Amino acid sequence: MEMINRYIYAVTQKLPQSQREDIAIELRGLIEDMLEERAGQGNGKENDVEEVLLELGSPRSLADKYRGKKKYIIGPELFDTYILVVKIVLIVMSSLIGIGFIIQTILEPMSILDHFIDMIVSAVTELPQAFGWATFWFAIGELYGGTKQKDLIGKEWKPADLSPIPDEKRQIKRSESIVGIIFYTIIIVFLAFSNEYFGIWVFQDEFNGVVPFLNEQTYGSYLLFIFLIFGAGIIKECLKLVAGKWTYRLAAYTTIVNVISMAAILFMISGPDFWNPEFMNQLVEAGVVTAGSEAFDTITTIWNQSTFWILILFIVGLVWDAVDGFIKSRKK
Amino acid sequence: MTEAKEHLDKIMQELRRGTITIGALSQLSEPQYGYSLVTMLSDKGIHVEPGTLYPLLRRLEKQGLLESKWDTNESRPRKYYLLSKTGKEVFDLLVTEWKSIAASLDQIIENKRGDENGDD
Repeated sequence: MEMINRYIYAVTQKLPQSQREDIAIELRGLIEDMLEERAGQGNGKENDVEEVLLELGSPRSLADKYRGKKKYIIGPELFDTYILVVKIVLIVMSSLIGIGFIIQTILEPMSILDHFIDMIVSAVTELPQAFGWATFWFAIGELYGGTKQKDLIGKEWKPADLSPIPDEKRQIKRSESIVGIIFYTIIIVFLAFSNEYFGIWVFQDEFNGVVPFLNEQTYGSYLLFIFLIFGAGIIKECLKLVAGKWTYRLAAYTTIVNVISMAAILFMISGPDFWNPEFMNQLVEAGVVTAGSEAFDTITTIWNQSTFWILILFIVGLVWDAVDGFIKSRKK
Repeated sequence: MTEAKEHLDKIMQELRRGTITIGALSQLSEPQYGYSLVTMLSDKGIHVEPGTLYPLLRRLEKQGLLESKWDTNESRPRKYYLLSKTGKEVFDLLVTEWKSIAASLDQIIENKRGDENGDD
């Protein structure tokens, strides 16, 4: 009896909640019917259960038959792209973590053990995170793509629906997207985990530290935006990779993604505490410039206006990227 | 010979899949539960595993070709299936289709035999 319970449990466990109870009752009835028939033929009792269960097949295959179709987190259509993106992201991140270790060791050879531990910790925490996020977004894509396909089945397909083979200009080169993903991954890893090295490097005979561009006190709270902005870039490249050619739909998606990154950049960069407030003083302290000199004034001007120009640069870049998508979609 | 047998098994599996549906529908103008249907079909020379038939019955019900009712009066609860109105129509159409396929295939196979005999 115990074995039958186990079998029924194993089968129904793999089925949707709503059907479990019904199928469990039905299966139990079936197994008892089959046992009864065998008992009628006068065979031993113990073996019968096993024989009946063997005849029904493994719980997995029976559950598959009940379900009718297979389910995926990431289906065969997206799988190749998914593997490609995961490979790129993981390879780039592990190389960066390795390179980070080498650079830190060259700069401060005395604390090599600390750097080594840092490297291991980074590898153990960041690589699974990257893998998880990539999987999450592809799973979302699969979910959305899956429902879209269902809608399409309802419509009658006509040969006239066949889209023309995209000409060279509309095609999206895989290499282009791959370079894009590598680029964004490098920026994310660099900004997120080595931001203290993002600044002016001071050398006086030997490495004397960095005057950082960013405000280290508030930086943690801006990290989310960094992920959002450049993560959106990776999502954009993935969309391009899956689509393979420029269409209005794709151009619309990239525009939406760009608008989101733009909003995040605006919010982040215009906040009061984003940049290092002590930047000029620290430059003077580090002996790079002398206070009151002409160079000091020039750098102050550049430093104060940099927010504005960086913003302009980003906006022009993102708007151009969106417009470019639409232009390429229009080419017949 | 074993290789031929393997191929045969695969093709027969595909071939049977459709015929089981016809077989099941043919017996359901009277209500039957799953296992009684297995025995009925088996007596008539159509062997179908319960593991195949039970999910099939469910699918046909979901498609609206069968109706079902639980009978809890007996020693164990049983789900009885019966042809729905649509199911009856579909079955009649299927029978016509099947006969025409069988006739065409018969003719093709017979002609082939005739040709071979002629060559000898």
